[in-house]
This record gives sequence, structure tokens and C-alpha cells, in this order.
Amino acid sequence: MLKSSPAARRLLAGIVSSRRIGSPFSLLQLSTAAFDPASNPSTHQDQPPALPTPETSRSRENDGEAHRRSTGKREGVSYQEEQARVLRAALSHVPRLGWSETAMILGAKDAGISPSIVGSFPRKEAALVEFFMDDCLQKLIDRIDSDMELDKLILSDRLSKLTRTRLEMQAPYISKWPQALSIQAQPANLPTSFKQRAVMIDEIWHAARDQGSDVDWYVKRTVLGGIYSTSEVYMLTDHSPGFRDTWNFLEHRIKDAFDLQKTIQEATYLAEAVGAGLGNSMQGFMKRMFQK
Amino acid sequence: MMMMMMALLRSGSSKILPRYQPSILPRFLHSHATSFGFKQDEKSKLVVNVFSTVASTYDLMNDLISTSLHRLWKDRLVSLLHPFAGMKHLDVAGGKGDVAFRVLERMNSVSNKALQERLADTEEVTKIFVCDINPNMLNVGKKRAIERVFSGFGEDRSLHWVEGDAEALSFADGSMDGYTIAFRIRNVTHIEKALSEAYRVLKRGGRFLCLELSHVELPVFKQIYDYYSFSIIPAMGELVAGDRASYQYLVESIRRFPNQETFARMIFDAGFQKVEYDNLVGGVVAIHSGLKL
Repeated sequence: MLKSSPAARRLLAGIVSSRRIGSPFSLLQLSTAAFDPASNPSTHQDQPPALPTPETSRSRENDGEAHRRSTGKREGVSYQEEQARVLRAALSHVPRLGWSETAMILGAKDAGISPSIVGSFPRKEAALVEFFMDDCLQKLIDRIDSDMELDKLILSDRLSKLTRTRLEMQAPYISKWPQALSIQAQPANLPTSFKQRAVMIDEIWHAARDQGSDVDWYVKRTVLGGIYSTSEVYMLTDHSPGFRDTWNFLEHRIKDAFDLQKTIQEATYLAEAVGAGLGNSMQGFMKRMFQK
Repeated sequence: MMMMMMALLRSGSSKILPRYQPSILPRFLHSHATSFGFKQDEKSKLVVNVFSTVASTYDLMNDLISTSLHRLWKDRLVSLLHPFAGMKHLDVAGGKGDVAFRVLERMNSVSNKALQERLADTEEVTKIFVCDINPNMLNVGKKRAIERVFSGFGEDRSLHWVEGDAEALSFADGSMDGYTIAFRIRNVTHIEKALSEAYRVLKRGGRFLCLELSHVELPVFKQIYDYYSFSIIPAMGELVAGDRASYQYLVESIRRFPNQETFARMIFDAGFQKVEYDNLVGGVVAIHSGLKL
């Protein structure tokens, strides 16, 4: 995979997150259809670019002229932004109330919006968890871009540091993280959470700038995904100060896996060699057999 | 069932009146406007007079025609609304209180009670406003609320019965968290006005939900539904309510109402964002929703 620019990675993360929060293309229920003005031939524009406009109340004109204008823009903030604001405000209530609708309702109140907006999230609590995951991914990317010391470390240390950085973001919510995990594991939410994790692991591998082409792309990500998940679960019951035990655990697992990769590679070569040798001797044997 | 009644009377059709003024009947049957030249006060008088006599029959007709599905549809409307404690909700043209009672029940349910305790510090009072143009219907609703005393509705100070017109609501700007209208927007004279009024009274973040009979496009099901609509429903109307013409008109008015996409466009034009619709029973009924920001 080519080394992608930070902008491209952000775009990827953005695409992943935009599918989460109230996208008009949500495919949650087969019978639900979202009205997409952009697809209409008269080209009304639905989603303006993200503008940091102040939330002044605007009175909407509802006269016939709106129809005649072929490029009627929607002024003000888009609903995705407002939803994101509500979710961000809700995060501050999570340690107390868990990943629940109550937290989202209080978040809406903090954001100065009617809590009815919580009804517009397709999978309520999952929306909150997914927002958090996307947010952490974004923070991770920012941290990667700003970190100059990564290059000085060896591969396993780089992986270890990045995974640790990401896991530390969950530390404030660790008391309620089991609930988040169970929400992510629900069948309706599983595809999204899987995709988010896959993107995150990919990011970490990218940042680790692994130049070796020894093992398969998928194996690398699967292995690191497994290590990440086990460390995450380990962290749930870790009471050591500053999660010291978790970081130890993480480092050891990565070192093992890292070395193990080499071992797997060596084992593969050995198997090939043995197979070749065996094959040769088999061929020789068969020839001699039939020559007689 | 009042929904059929309101359908006819709001549109000014005189399907109930044939006994008194048969000459007017053919003209109104074929007109396409939703206001047939009745003055507003005449229309209101007609509505009031006829209500008490035919109310129960039409209740039964509602159940028969939709095979009681209308109850599930209203349940679904309320679950999409997702009411919360301390909410200010407006149900328009729902005089008998079907939707309002469901919202209240959901708020008083056990799980929500737990929620309420946690939100107790906010001290917001739940208020559910039921607005209807016909005071008789509101009275029926009030009686029903008292009858449901076991749920505490009678003494519940959350329900407020208000007389008013969907096109000219008497509520302040930005005062409602939620707005619902079930099976009535079809009968409003100027739908755009009702939508813009809905937009006006909603707070930022408030949601608009509309449950309405809509268009079916699925190939085989459409034929079945058309046959059912044009042959069976008027016949049932004749048998049970003694009024074939009203139900014929009802079915025709459903076909004349804009389809899902067009109505969604109208909601969008009123200023709502995140306009979506949910087709139930293949499109027989659609729940449109919009978010005000």
C-alpha cells in the first residue's frame, strides 16, 4: 500500500465517520428512504460545506421563489454538524451515565438544542460510541502527524507506542467501556464497529512505516487487531497506576508477534524446502520405479 | 373513527349531507380542490353537528379497513418520535387523543421513569398539546382521558386540549420539541401552510413527524391494494356505515395526495433538514420525518 498523505488519510477517516452520523444514505431499514434533494433534477443543494456559522435563529422564507431558484442553498449549519455537537457534549456525561440516551439528552441540553434530536439518530447509543471512535481516530492521526520521535524507534516500539496512545484515549471512559464494547458487538452495530477498527489498525500500521514486505498485508493487520483487542480487554480490569500493567502486556504481545512473524516466515521457507526436497526424492523414486 | 369523517368534512365534501342537499353531491364528488366553497364557519358547524352521531361507527370502520393496523402504525409513529421526559409535544388534528395517549404512555413507562430520575435536576415539565379544529373531537378525547384513570391520564396535567387550525397555530415560535400529525395532513387545505406552521412552532432540534396514507409502487401488491381500495372499502362503508360515497371519496383523496418523494420535497422546502420517510406495508402508509435546525 502506498504511503498516503495525511490529507488522504483524513479523507478516509472522514468518509468512515460521515457514514455514521445521520447520513442521508443510511441503509438501516430496507423500507426507509431518505429524501436526497441533491438527486433531484432541479438541483437543490442539501449539504453545504462545514461552516462554523454562529447559531443565530433564522426565519425561513417559504414562498414560491424558493422553487424557482435552481440552486437553492441551505443556509446555516447542517444537521450533521449539530448532531456532532450534541454527541460531543454528550461525551462529558458518559463517565457518569454510561453510553446511554440519558447522556445524549443531557448533551443536547448542553448544546442548547432540543433533546428531540436524539430521536433522529438511527441507532441511538451506537451513534455515540461510533462518534467517540471516530473522534479518537482523528486525534490519533493528529498525534501521529505531530510526533517527530516515531522514526527513532524500532518497528515493534513504534507499534507499541501508537497502540498505547490510542488506548490511553479510552482511559477516562474505562469504567463504562465494557458497555461500549457490548454496544459495538450488537449485530446491528457490528459492521460499523468492525470497519472503524479496521481503519484504525490500518492507520497505526501506516504510521509505523513498516518497509518490510515479509508477511502478508492482511496478516499484519489481523495480528495487530488481535493484540489491540486483547489489550483493550486487559485494560478493563487493570487497576495498576497509569495502566502500567496494560502497557507491559501490550509490549510483550507485540514483541512476541513481531518475532513470531519472522518465525512464521522461516517456518514457511522450511516447509517449502522440505516439500521441494521431498518432492525431488519422490520424483526420483517414481522414475526409478517405472524405469525398471 | 374520526379520520374518515374529518377527511370528508375538512375537504368540504357533503357526503354526509346527501340526505339534506342531494343536488350538491355530484359537484363535490368530482371537484379536485380541497376547499369546496364552504365558508369556514359553515364547515365548522357541519363538522360539529355530525360528529357525535357517527363517531362510533367510524371508529369501527377505521379498525375494519386497516384490519386494526392503524394502531400499530400509530405505535410506530410514537416510537420514531422517541419522547423524553420534560418534552413539549404538539399533536395536530389528533382530537381523540390516539397519538397523545401513546406519547404519554411511553413517557410514563418503567424504563422512562428511571430516565426521569436521572434527569430530575432539570425540572422540565412534560406538556402534550392536542390541537384540533373541532371542539367535539377534543371533548371525546378529554372523556377518553378521564376514562383511562387507571393510567392516571384523567388527573394528568400533562395533556392540554387546544382548539385550533393546523394552518394557523396559536403557539409561540420555537416552543415545541415535537410535532406529529396522523392521517390529517391530507385534509388540510394548504399543506405548505401547515408545514411552515410546524416549522415555526418547533424548537431547534425539534422533529416533525407525519403519518399518512401514501402511494404503493410494488408491482403485484399495487394491484391488490387498488382492488381493495376501490372495490372492498366502499362496499364495507356501505354495509357498516351506510355511506358508500364517503369511502369512495376517501380512497380517491389518498390517490390525489402527493407521493412520498413529492411530499418529502415539500417538507424540505418548508425548511426541515434530514427529511426521511419510512414506508409501512409496502407504501400503504408512510411516516415522513424532518429535523428543524
